[in-house]
Amino acid sequence: MATYLELSGHKTSANWRRFLSGQFFSLSALLLPVMLIGLWWLASERGWLPEQILPAPAYVLQTGRDMIASGELLYHAAVSLRRVIFGFAIGAVLGLALGIAMGLSPRFEDYAKPTFLAFAQIPTLGWIPLLMLLVGIEETLKIIIIAKGALVPITLNTLSGIRSVPGKYVEVGKALRFSRWQTLRLIVLPGAIPSIFTGIRNGLTHAWTSLVGVELLASSEGLGYLLVWGRQMFWLDTVIIAMIVIGLIGFAMDKGLNGSEVFVQRWKKEGL
Amino acid sequence: MKRAFLSRVAAGLALMLAAAPVTARAEEPLVIHVGYAAIGVDNRPYAEGTSAATARAGEFLEKEFAKDPSIKIEWTFFKGAGPAVNEGFANDQLDFAYQGDLPSLIGRANGLKTKYLLASGARKPLYLAVAKDSGIKSIGDLKGRKIALQRGTNGHLAAIKVLEAHGLKERDVQVVNLDSAGTVAALTSKDIDAAFGDTQLINLAVKSAADVIYTTKGDDPRFGRNAGIIGRQAFIDAHPEITQRVVDAFVKAAQWSSDEPNRAALLELWHKSGTPVPILEEYFKGDTLAYRNSPLIDDLLVSQYKEQAAKSKEFGLIRRDVDLDGWFEPRYLNNAIERFSLQHFWQAYGADGKPVAS
Amino acid sequence: MAETRLVRVRRGLTLPFLLLVAWEASSRLGLVDPRFLPPIEDVALTAKREIIDNGLTGQLGTSLLRNIAGFLIGCALGVSFGTLVAVTRLGDRLIMPTFNGLKQISLLAWIPLISVWFGFGEQAKVVFVALAAFIPIALNTYDGIKDAPAELIEVGRALRFRPWQRITKIYLPSALPTIATGIHLGLIYSWLATVGAEYFLAVGPGIGGLVIAGRERFDMALVMVGVIVLGLVGFAFNRLAGAAEARLLRWRA
Repeated sequence: MATYLELSGHKTSANWRRFLSGQFFSLSALLLPVMLIGLWWLASERGWLPEQILPAPAYVLQTGRDMIASGELLYHAAVSLRRVIFGFAIGAVLGLALGIAMGLSPRFEDYAKPTFLAFAQIPTLGWIPLLMLLVGIEETLKIIIIAKGALVPITLNTLSGIRSVPGKYVEVGKALRFSRWQTLRLIVLPGAIPSIFTGIRNGLTHAWTSLVGVELLASSEGLGYLLVWGRQMFWLDTVIIAMIVIGLIGFAMDKGLNGSEVFVQRWKKEGL
Repeated sequence: MKRAFLSRVAAGLALMLAAAPVTARAEEPLVIHVGYAAIGVDNRPYAEGTSAATARAGEFLEKEFAKDPSIKIEWTFFKGAGPAVNEGFANDQLDFAYQGDLPSLIGRANGLKTKYLLASGARKPLYLAVAKDSGIKSIGDLKGRKIALQRGTNGHLAAIKVLEAHGLKERDVQVVNLDSAGTVAALTSKDIDAAFGDTQLINLAVKSAADVIYTTKGDDPRFGRNAGIIGRQAFIDAHPEITQRVVDAFVKAAQWSSDEPNRAALLELWHKSGTPVPILEEYFKGDTLAYRNSPLIDDLLVSQYKEQAAKSKEFGLIRRDVDLDGWFEPRYLNNAIERFSLQHFWQAYGADGKPVAS
Repeated sequence: MAETRLVRVRRGLTLPFLLLVAWEASSRLGLVDPRFLPPIEDVALTAKREIIDNGLTGQLGTSLLRNIAGFLIGCALGVSFGTLVAVTRLGDRLIMPTFNGLKQISLLAWIPLISVWFGFGEQAKVVFVALAAFIPIALNTYDGIKDAPAELIEVGRALRFRPWQRITKIYLPSALPTIATGIHLGLIYSWLATVGAEYFLAVGPGIGGLVIAGRERFDMALVMVGVIVLGLVGFAFNRLAGAAEARLLRWRA
């Protein structure tokens, strides 16, 4: 902090104020959670709510520590992550391919889109029992459901992204005698990137939600399984910990995507 | 614009209030909410194999309160079994329920204020079925295989005890949490290798969709599952006379279910749950009706429950000691037995499993 | 080279038509196991049976009622919450970070908690559906109000609007497009939550229960009927949401 003040020179007081307000901002963000946890602690101490409805925060913390120490939490989180990454990759590749194909060829879009939309109307949860009858309750089921969850938003957003590239740009490409591939790489894709990323972000969120749904229904491991286990045994602390981990992973994935979007945008600007 | 917004907010608030939890009021009309920790085939609201199931199918409770137009009985059956019943108790949505030993102990351990009023469905056997061509011949073969269990039920505890007797821990097998119907589906399609369960497994074996390779029937009586009628303490305190009448009805159902001449009629009544009568016959083969349908809170039952509590803690299913003192409330049961002169109808058993001389 | 509408519609129908033909052919020729792909006839008969004998429309009605109730509650709470948090600086600083954190928890992960906190019965299901609608609507309301153009706010200040007038005359109207998107999302998520609630929270009437029952009975035809109904309702909701969005935007203009 001393160095910070030294470097700013005559702007010291303004920077100092900015620094403090920044700290205040991040601290104030924590104010509500801290208050809520305090209220939680008080409620369990005084017994305002029966303990099966709200376990003491210290208890949840202890269980969390135990689960991390035993490696159990990491194991289940890893299983869920592995499923999501695998399923999402498949869904994303298919989604991008489908979206690009439909975006570049209006004719293909005419043929494929209505059928695609019809299948997309069915909520992912609705597919689960159907697929259970076809492929059982093993890993395949989970991967397919996750892939489907990611597929729809990615396809639709890729399509709209490609459609949104102004015609003039494609005209420029034609004037410059770009090949099909060059048009795609240098004009269409870069223009569609913001939309594609929105699709990817939505797809990942939806894939993650679909994973939880499948694991709640039929699984022997994973974070959704922890939720079921906790619920059956009335271990609400396990349920809360699983929820927190699910939230944290969701948050990390979101942040990761934002970071890579910024990276790609920067690369795109440099490229052009 | 303002009015539209306001009316929308008002409508929202109204709906919010309508959906808010409504607590049962202790005035007429009174609805007695009775739960059952199982459900029939195809989600039929009937069950089998216990005196509580008889009470439902034979409408014993409804008949008891037939002359009270302001008192209604509402039965709810739970796919989620014992754990789901606990959720009902936790939210004051159930007043009485048939529930197995492990879930009722879990409830008590977690601070649910309940009382054990009478036994029902005690000493039930557990069955182990394996998928066709799974190659599993004995319990030892289950190691590392995929097994369906409904976590938190008395079947879960019995299964772990069985595994332990054969040197296996719960961690040695891959547990898939499935309810009764899910188990049947998964076993038939061979998505799992084996499953612990009940009459639904006998049914599968009869249809040749799976093989039953083991049952606790005839094995160590300590493997038996227990259950009973649990009551919510707040309701019992507020309505002791109604509680007595509810217990009376259950005792009458137990009496009818324990009379050997009624066996055929009993199985037919239980058939309302959708399980075929021959399966029920197999389920009760070799047991006297009085043995399985006795409502007595005798030393055997109490010691069994104490042992279940200790074992549950040992297996890590319950994480703190459960104090059973004051949980058993035989007062209403004893009143009913006195009044109906049933003192010598059922055989009481001691903690050692032997009949107590009366 | 714009294609005529007729040509496009015809193209759109080609694939479904081919799929149906392939389905019927494979059933007739015995190419597929009827347990995995029952003949179209079976599915139609099952649909008829469910509607006439087993009260499919009633089940659907119950699901929809639950959906609408939960959605309306979630919508009202979402708009109120989003507005309050966006216009007060305190609300923004204090509450939004926590909200952003909590919204990361996948919707379905809330089910065990809601089940324990609200028990079985309609109440738990409606709460879950309301939660599903609340999150996108609150978020979009917040975003929409935050993006209110500075000039409009200046005008409000110049005209000395009181807070309530500022909300109703400036913030909400300018946020309407974003709120409309939020409502669209809310409708979709609340339908998802309705089906989810029927899967995971106690047995009761509803379409979700029908699909699960079909799976347990190995009745693929029943599952397909249920899935088709789910899809049709999903489609109807999407249309409804789109129309509502358009109407809201027109109203604002």
